[in-house]
Amino acid sequence: MGAQDMDPSLLQDFLTESSELIEKLDVDLVTLESVAEGDEQKELLNSIFRALHTIKGAASFLGLTTLITFAHAAEDALNRMRKGEIEVTSEVMDVLLRSVDVLRSMLEEINASEEITPAPDDLLGQLHALVGNDAPAKPDTEKQTQAQPEVKLEEGQTKLELPPQKVDLLDFMVSDLEEVVGQLTQCIEQARVTATRQDAAQHLAELAENTYKTGYFFELDDMSKVAKALEAVADHLADVPDDVLGEVLVRVAAAQTLIKQQTEALCKSIALSWPLDTFLQRLEQVTTGNPLDKDVTGKHNNDAAQVLVLDGVLKAPVASSTEGSNESTTPADQARAAAKKGGDAPTARGSVGEQTIRVEVHRLESLLNLVGRLVLNKNRVLGMTRKVREHDLPYEVEEQFAAAASDLDQLTGELQLGVMRTRMQPLAKLFDRYPRVIRDIARMTDKKIDLEIAGKETEVDKSVLEVLADPLVHILRNSADHGVETPDIRTAAGKPETGTIRLTAEHQGSHVRVEIADNGKGLHREMLGKKAVERGLVTPEQLAMLSDEEVFRFIFAPGFSTAEKVSDLSGRGVGMDVVRTNIAKINGAINISSAKGKGTTIEILIPLTVAIMPAMMVGVGRHLYAIPLTSITEIVRPEQNMVYTVSGQPVMRLRDTVLPLLNMRRILQESGDEPKNKFAVMIAVGQQRAGLVVDRLIGQQEVVIKPLDDRYTQGGPFSGATIREDGDVSLILDVIQLIRQAQTPERAAA
Amino acid sequence: MSTATAKTPTTATPGIDPGDEQSTGTRQGDGELLQLVTFVVGTEEFAIPILSVREINRMMQITRVPQSPEFIEGVINLRGKIIPVMDLRKRFGDQALEDTSDSRIIVVEVSNRVIGFTVDRVNEVLRVDAGIVEPPPSLVTGVDSEYVQGVGKLEDRLLILLDLERLFSDEDLDQLEQTANAASA
Repeated sequence: MGAQDMDPSLLQDFLTESSELIEKLDVDLVTLESVAEGDEQKELLNSIFRALHTIKGAASFLGLTTLITFAHAAEDALNRMRKGEIEVTSEVMDVLLRSVDVLRSMLEEINASEEITPAPDDLLGQLHALVGNDAPAKPDTEKQTQAQPEVKLEEGQTKLELPPQKVDLLDFMVSDLEEVVGQLTQCIEQARVTATRQDAAQHLAELAENTYKTGYFFELDDMSKVAKALEAVADHLADVPDDVLGEVLVRVAAAQTLIKQQTEALCKSIALSWPLDTFLQRLEQVTTGNPLDKDVTGKHNNDAAQVLVLDGVLKAPVASSTEGSNESTTPADQARAAAKKGGDAPTARGSVGEQTIRVEVHRLESLLNLVGRLVLNKNRVLGMTRKVREHDLPYEVEEQFAAAASDLDQLTGELQLGVMRTRMQPLAKLFDRYPRVIRDIARMTDKKIDLEIAGKETEVDKSVLEVLADPLVHILRNSADHGVETPDIRTAAGKPETGTIRLTAEHQGSHVRVEIADNGKGLHREMLGKKAVERGLVTPEQLAMLSDEEVFRFIFAPGFSTAEKVSDLSGRGVGMDVVRTNIAKINGAINISSAKGKGTTIEILIPLTVAIMPAMMVGVGRHLYAIPLTSITEIVRPEQNMVYTVSGQPVMRLRDTVLPLLNMRRILQESGDEPKNKFAVMIAVGQQRAGLVVDRLIGQQEVVIKPLDDRYTQGGPFSGATIREDGDVSLILDVIQLIRQAQTPERAAA
Repeated sequence: MSTATAKTPTTATPGIDPGDEQSTGTRQGDGELLQLVTFVVGTEEFAIPILSVREINRMMQITRVPQSPEFIEGVINLRGKIIPVMDLRKRFGDQALEDTSDSRIIVVEVSNRVIGFTVDRVNEVLRVDAGIVEPPPSLVTGVDSEYVQGVGKLEDRLLILLDLERLFSDEDLDQLEQTANAASA
């Protein structure tokens, strides 16, 4: 069965939800490996099991047989771990992590509307070996074919005619349903207590949805109806008045009985149907808080079986089988339910229903675009207030106009902030992937590495998050592969056997600072320098004059790799180049510091958002340019006696430092008379600083960044363009590129 | 580097009424019909397929982009999108002419890139039989024949059919980049 013939929106939901769950699986599995046996481990196992189970459930709703079969195999293995029958070892984790990878690629295939590749046999073999069962599922189908001829159909029973791929799943689903039946008991107990009723409602909603999906899948119409009714109960449970609560709960128990009956019948491929009308109608009545007639209530002694008879669903004699359902109140069953409750009910479900909705990203994009245009228009209106003042208008008119404009300014600001916030996402989305990355590298290289993560709740714009994803992986891989040494080398160097990589994030003004620090062997200045000279990046003479950090920066040069051997993980020299270009793309900066034998620290500074930013408009020649305000440290009027030339490069002494100056007229190829008094706009990116000499200062403005991405207009020192209040275009100066030019004067002069 | 693919409907052009010649639209002659926009640069009349034209605008403020190729006049704000504008006169190696009230910026979409170019005047929308187009005779025009797809012979005049893909190909740019890289390496 391909993914093509499914409802696309359902499929999309499934893909979104499952991808998120798979991310979570990854995180949980890696954490699982590192926690000691005990409650925490149990909780994690349960959470992992649940995530996998949810994926499987949703997949079965969509009939993705290949995926379900595989998920089930993995689930079996997890189930045994949950029961403590399998120990958590690295080997077991390898199998499970690989299973997650296979699931992920299956989802990707579904997303690309490709046929799902079945899981590799060796992996299935490993999973089955874990469960201690070589050929699962199959015997069940055999059992069924054997069992079928014996079945005698009674009234209200229909033989299920299922396509083979659904028959394969029958057994999985029966065990699912059995679990639902078990949990319903516990759910009813929870609902009796006011304090846990909210939890019960949520729990019930999940169970009902699960049941509905199964019912829908096997075309069990009546069970689906019952499940739907339960969903309605779950919706209202919190508001049901106490006087009818008993009536509601006894009917939930009755519904449980019906589901149980159907489950048993399903084993024999039989669909049950019941005269449900009265039952459903009464259930709805009490659910919405309306008491039933006196002659209906109380007659059932709170016995689910009696209710079913009363409501005409079952005939009295059949009660013997419903009697069986009451065994869910036997001590053994209660114990079972309680045990499940321990594992299932609390944890991950967390607070009652997060108040969130999913919104397609492109809607947010277009909203942001509109806000961008609104900001431009606001700027135009603000510009007009200045013009209005020049015309001799009555004072009141001018005043009113100014007030309206300032209101508009404020509202636009708030709107902009609001829209920005909708696009903010925690860095955890990225950071949570990395323990797995580090774990795999450590396993492959026989190293011991701890990854410490702090500040993953720091939020950044979605686009920043996307750009940051690859660079961080590259840096972390490098740290793990090249930075941290093997345990024997570390011990020999008197360091702890286990290396540490610290990944921290924090807000710093309008920037986010991400730091990756390892306590590995550090960067080797001589080796990097030698390589740089070999590759013709510097002359040996220039090299001697460079600071350590400048030499370290060579690792960001394209194709620069010092690794003696190219490994699977890194060392091909492409990674760090990606890091630099990606970070530069979003106006970020990278600093690098390292001490030989002690470790390397890489600091990344990125703006919170990439779409709108405050800028200083400056005039050079006849044109206006924007300089990102966040990179400006100060603006000075250089006096003649402050400016010198050092080896052909103009520099300026500012207090006790000497900073390189860039003549923007030359860089921007402006001709014409130069004004007598110029301004030096001092910019800083990380540790590096420089001064840009411009003709005029225009003022601060919010600018909307537009890409300048056509090949014809690339290459100059511009990070983008923006539209000014008069509708014309101004280019935004690329501070990082300019600072680099200032550091390598011969290039600036060229 | 993703080039913009936004689909904005081609706006009607002042002076040109596309509906006018739509009436003959369904006629299928002996050969294929070409729908062309014709314009003047310098002393020559050029033509490009109407389907590649996104819009034709009056002259507007063009912002110079330092360190870009010489034939790039700069960038314009096309309803919130920044697109480059090429000076066709400079591209053909002619003298740059003064902007007049007839000057226009034709915005085209070629291989997923949206680019504008300046022309001295836009003439008309023509529908011609593909049969009248002949391969470019060498040395017939002042324009480098590499950008010419063919020459269309009308009763009273000649049209030069431009090959837009070639015109905006990156060959020149690659050369520029190479020189730049050589200089900076």
